[in-house]
This record gives sequence, structure tokens and C-alpha cells, in this order.
Amino acid sequence: MTNNLRSELVVRENETGVGVERPRSYTNILPYILVFPAVMVILLLYLYPFLASFWKSFISKEGVLSLANYEKTLRLYRYDILFTLGVTVLSTLIATVLSILLAVYLRLSKSWLANRIGILYRLPIFLPFVVVAQMMRSFLAPHGIFNLFLAKLDLINIENPLQFFNWTGLTFGFVWKEAPFMILIILAGFQMIDDSYIEAAKSVGAKLPQIITKILIPMNKPTILIAVTLVFCSLIGCFSFPYMLIGGKTPVTITVDIAHRVNYFGDYGVANALGVFSYIMVSFLAIYYIRSMMRKGLYD
Amino acid sequence: MFKRILNTWVISLLLIVMVLGIFSLNIGAEEKVKLVYITAGDVNMLALGQHVIGPQFNEKYPNVSVMTVHTGPGNAGSRLIFEKIMADRDKKEGDIDVAMIHQIFLKWAMEEDLLLEYAKDIDTWQYITSPFAKKTLGVDVEGYCMPMFHSQTVLAYNPKYVSDPPKTYDELVEWVKDHPGKFGYNGIKGGMSGVAFTVGWIYWKTGKYEKYAVTGPFDEAEIATWEEPIKELKEFNKDVTLTGGNVATLDALNRGEIWIGPVWVDMFLTWKAEGKVDPATRLILPEPGMPGQPMYFVIPKNTAHTEEAKKFVEFVTSPAVQAEEIVKRFNWYPGIDGSYIKDFVPKETFDIIYQDVTPEMLSNYGLAFPLGDYFDAMLEACE
Repeated sequence: MTNNLRSELVVRENETGVGVERPRSYTNILPYILVFPAVMVILLLYLYPFLASFWKSFISKEGVLSLANYEKTLRLYRYDILFTLGVTVLSTLIATVLSILLAVYLRLSKSWLANRIGILYRLPIFLPFVVVAQMMRSFLAPHGIFNLFLAKLDLINIENPLQFFNWTGLTFGFVWKEAPFMILIILAGFQMIDDSYIEAAKSVGAKLPQIITKILIPMNKPTILIAVTLVFCSLIGCFSFPYMLIGGKTPVTITVDIAHRVNYFGDYGVANALGVFSYIMVSFLAIYYIRSMMRKGLYD
Repeated sequence: MFKRILNTWVISLLLIVMVLGIFSLNIGAEEKVKLVYITAGDVNMLALGQHVIGPQFNEKYPNVSVMTVHTGPGNAGSRLIFEKIMADRDKKEGDIDVAMIHQIFLKWAMEEDLLLEYAKDIDTWQYITSPFAKKTLGVDVEGYCMPMFHSQTVLAYNPKYVSDPPKTYDELVEWVKDHPGKFGYNGIKGGMSGVAFTVGWIYWKTGKYEKYAVTGPFDEAEIATWEEPIKELKEFNKDVTLTGGNVATLDALNRGEIWIGPVWVDMFLTWKAEGKVDPATRLILPEPGMPGQPMYFVIPKNTAHTEEAKKFVEFVTSPAVQAEEIVKRFNWYPGIDGSYIKDFVPKETFDIIYQDVTPEMLSNYGLAFPLGDYFDAMLEACE
């Protein structure tokens, strides 16, 4: 290496600050001060309650360490746990497929219809679950708008209407509320993909299904995963909608059971044990999500 | 330069507003007592506090302003109040001055010794004859609470479809067999009218109302005897529409999806008065009876305003306010003995409230919820 080049490199290093010792001053602790509030919020409002609820799920009514709460949870609510998992997985799956299809349409089409849909689909995002619940209650009721509509078309007899106050109505409401949110996230990802990839694929003969499965989805996988994780977690924890739609029935979601244990029995032990089951359900997805993110970080 | 002057102005203005705010707060605190009234129950309870008894009390006692805080319906609402007062128990002066709560709260709060024994000190104690004010869910509460109103669950039915409504649980079961899906209620997790129907079912099947709700004591061996009744209830449920809550039952009645369903009398009458229920809908209280419950005023031990709190309770339990607001405006049965309010209520109001469910029916078939331990055991057995 010539001297010239060496001195140039030194200059460059100095310019970017590499190799220059920083003055020892408050700047050394500044980063810690800056992250302190955020970390404290997470520790106090998230980690502490989380660990406390986990720990208390093992404390019986008599105040001793035992599995009594879990025994009762599994005896009374095992079907509710499976029901919650089933409905959430199904709703997330349907919402994912629907939102990918619609996001693809919105990404590829430039028509006026796509523009209108692009505005309309966002509306449900702004509605709270409790409003959605009230809407679904009148829309899906045995003599509700939907059944009356079908009866007018002579497709059903209104005295023997379709029943939606069960897992079907719950899934329908979940998808209606959450698919738009997924579209928002997934579409943003699709829009980051340069047209040239799609055009290149087209030029070598790729049809639409291939463009979707070979270009758009693989290139957008991390975003889709984020959307799936967020929606899955929010559905597992949703209370108002299942409570208002199927609150009195069995099976029902575990959030309704948790409220029932606390409100009628003051029984935080079983409520916490039910909570732990929801953490377990969420953690499967969370672990998968974090692992795939880390793997991506390592090899990119 | 201009920006700097503007900034100085804005900051000075903010400071002045802040200082004025602090001063005005102090002035207010010196002159007025702020009574914190926390209430469980539906939104009508909030309306009652905020728009009716709060302002009226303030009119009578101008130096006391009432701040109404609302926690929400059902036991959940009472639970929140209990937890708040528990959290305050070691403070010299708690935040809550008066609370409006359900029966179950009294069981929790009496166990923790959170309440002031005040009821016998106030003038309106003489009007209280309800047994619910002495013993509730098996807990001795005499002197610690004043009932503000009493509410009752009954069956509502639409005469358009049901000309001869079932008068007993027996007849109801037969009726449901003939009309599958046309009786609806909200189970045990969807609200208290469903809970009341279920509890009524167990009273009917076992015939042990006295033991479960009045005399006690709690006997764990009883739980095993409910197996058969609950099995029969589950069988009955197969021909029944399960709704999503107290409101959902009324909605389903309105849409004609169900023809009979259990409702709270006050909620039903209020909806009817507001035109939200088919005016033809009628009520019936089936034999051997369904439970109802009062809501009570309690005062926490560590209130900072004992005298004002007592005056507030006295005001709302006075015959005039009970007649005008509790009975006439909100369609509840009065918390004090009905005979004391007769002079204050027009005949039409009395007729509306006692049209279908007469005072005799109420005294014969208006039951109480079971004692705390039995109540818990029943709900759990029905899971």
C-alpha cells in the first residue's frame, strides 16, 4: 500500500470519526438515560404484571403452591381453550388469504375500482371491536339484516334462519375487522417491491399466480409475518366481541371465561391460569416470528 | 426576533393560566365539599348520579358538590369498587365517600371490614322494612347499607305469539318442548338475568330455596344433589336460544326471534317507556319464583366526609325522592317500604309498575339470590 493511499485512509477514518476517542463525559451515560423511561415502562407495565400473573397461576385459593388452578382450568375450560385456538387460527388464516389477494389486486391494478376499494377498505380499521360487536349483533341475528335479506330472495325461510351466533359469526366478525388492517400492512410491503421484478417475471412468461407465489409473497414474507402475528395476538386477546356475540353460550373464548372467573368468583388463580394458556398460544407465533427475524438479520 | 417575542408571550400566558388554575382550585376546595359517589350498574346508574340525584342534592346543600364515578354493570362493576376501596383501606382518608353496589359487594366488603355502620344514624332508616337490608346472601349487614331500589327478574313474553303464557317453571318446560328455539336467555356468563333464571331453576328442582337463600348454612353435600337438575337444564337448553346478554334477550324478543325470555323489570319498563320494546309485550313472574336484588348505598370507613355522605344517602332514600326519581323516572321498585311513597306517586305510575307483576306476586315469588357460598357453587356447577 502506498503512503498516499494510507494517508488518505487515515483522513477518511478521521472524517467518519472511527478510531477517534470520544471525550469521557455525560455522553457515555446519555444512551442509558434516554432508554430508561421506555425500559421502565416495559418492566413495570408489561414484564412485572406478566410474571406476576404467571406466578399467581400456581398459587391456589389457600395460598400454597399447587397446580389446582390448572386442574380446574382444564376440567372446566379445556373445550374453550381449543375453541379459542380454533377460531383464532381459522380467522387469521382466512384474513391472511383474503388480504393477500386484495393487496395483490390493489398493487397490480390501476383501475378506478381499485382506487375506490383502496379508500373503502380502511374503514373497519377505525372501528373499535365493541362497535363491530354491536353491528354484527344486528347484522347476523336470526332475524337480522343478513337473514332478512336472504329471506327476501327466497333463499331461506325466516322462521328457520341461518345461525351465526356461534363460531361462524365470530370468525366472520374477526375477519371483517382484521382483514383491512392486514391489507394495510401487506399492501405497504407490496408497494416496496419494484415494478421491474414483476415486469422481468412477466417477460419470461410468468402468469399472475406465479407472480403472486414466486415474486410478491416471497419478497414480502417478513411483512406478511408481522401482519399475521399482530392479528393473531389481538384476536386471542379480544374480549368485547365474543362476549357480546356468544357470551352466554358454551363453548366461548377464554377471555370471556377470564372475565367470568374474576367478576363472579373473584378467582384470579384460575383467571391467571387461563391467561397462561393464551400466552402459550401467542408465544408459538412470537417465537417463530423472532427466530425468522433473527435468521434474516444474520444472513442478509 | 419576532419568533422569540412570540415564544415569550406564549410561555407567560401559559404560566398565568397555570397560576390562576392552581388558585381557583384552592379557592374551590376551601368553600365546597366534593363528595365522590361511585356507582356500579348500567349507564342508567351514571345518569341517575350525574343528572338527577347529584344536582338535586347540590341544590339542597349548595356547599356540597357530588362527583359521580361509574364503574360498569353487573358484579364486575361492584368488583371494581371493592378493589378501589381495598386499595385505599390503609389510607387515613380514602377517595370514595359513598358507593352504590350490588349484594355480592357486601359479602366481600364485610369480610374485609371496610364499611361504616351508619344506616341507623340517618332519618330514613325508619322507612326500611326490606329483609334485604338486614341479611343479604347470608351475611349480616344490618346498619351497614341502605337499599336504594329493588329490582326483580321476570319473564317477558309477546302476546302476539303467546296467548297463554306458562305460569310455572313446569309449564315453561312443556312450552319449550312445543316451541323449540322460542324461549331465550343469556346463560350464566352473559349477565344477571340469565343467572337469575338458572338459580330459579335450581330452587324449583330442589325445592330448597329457604336453605340456599335464607337460613343456610352452607353444606357442601348439597352440591352433589344439583347434578340431576343441571343435567335437565342442559337438556332444556338444547331447545332454547342462548342470547349474548340482558340487552340481547330484549333485542331478540323485539325481533320476534324468541317469544319468551327473562328480563329485569326496570330495564324492561324503561325500554318500554322509551319505545324500544313492542308495547304489547307483557311480564309474568313464574312459580315458584325468580330472584331479584336491591342495590345499596354504603359508606367506606375512611371517608373524609362522613356527615355529607350520610346526608346524601338520607336524601336519596327520602320518600319524595324515592317516589319521584326511583319509581317514577327509573321504574325501579323503591328501596324503602312502598307504603311510604304512595302519597307521592300518581296512580298511573303505580299501575304501570305493578300492572303485570302485582305486589302480592312479588311478595310470594320474588326470591333472593342464594347465599354467597351456594351462589358460587351453583355457578361453578353449571359450567
